Amino acid sequence: MNVVAGIFLIVGSLLTMIGGVGVVRFSDLMSRVHAAAKAPTLGLLLVAVGAAIEIGSGKAVVTLFLVVVLQLLTSPVATHVLARASYGQVDTELDGGDDLAQHFAAKRAEIAAAKRAEPSRDQGND
Amino acid sequence: MILVAIVLLAIAAGCFLYRVLRGPSIPDRVVALDGVLSVVVSGIIVAAAQANSDITLATVLVVSLVGFVGTVALGRFVERRGG
Repeated sequence: MNVVAGIFLIVGSLLTMIGGVGVVRFSDLMSRVHAAAKAPTLGLLLVAVGAAIEIGSGKAVVTLFLVVVLQLLTSPVATHVLARASYGQVDTELDGGDDLAQHFAAKRAEIAAAKRAEPSRDQGND
Repeated sequence: MILVAIVLLAIAAGCFLYRVLRGPSIPDRVVALDGVLSVVVSGIIVAAAQANSDITLATVLVVSLVGFVGTVALGRFVERRGG
């Protein structure tokens, strides 16, 4: 067993475990999403690098590269879809207040003020 | 060294499964299931490194894409039905 490959495998697994501990320990949904999205992705990247070093064949390197690229592309999309869908649906209190609700309220007030200022141009002003 | 990696992945799988069983809302469970799938993918890669062969690596590609599609589909479900 190559020592460098072993270190990559262990550090990658450790990052995945840290993500799991975060999912258990964090207190609200958004924090759990935050923990579950990023740490296992980086852990998978490191595990793939370690396995590519250990196996070393061209086919393995290409396949693992493809796996890592697809994971880096799809993991943020999936997590964002889930977090966006569950915002407002799940009745949990967020750690540290809900900044997004204040942002939405300010935006709505701004749009309403703009409509009052120019009533003729309110079409398509979403 | 492989053994250490496998033990760490097992602890991670236990943590994610705890949240799948316990999670108060559906999105919690979906997030944790995504993590379980990530652990499975890492485990297949570690097993391939241990066996020093590349024949199982195509499975990894399939599992990770199925996980993406499943998470997006459940996200749409949560959006429509509520958590």
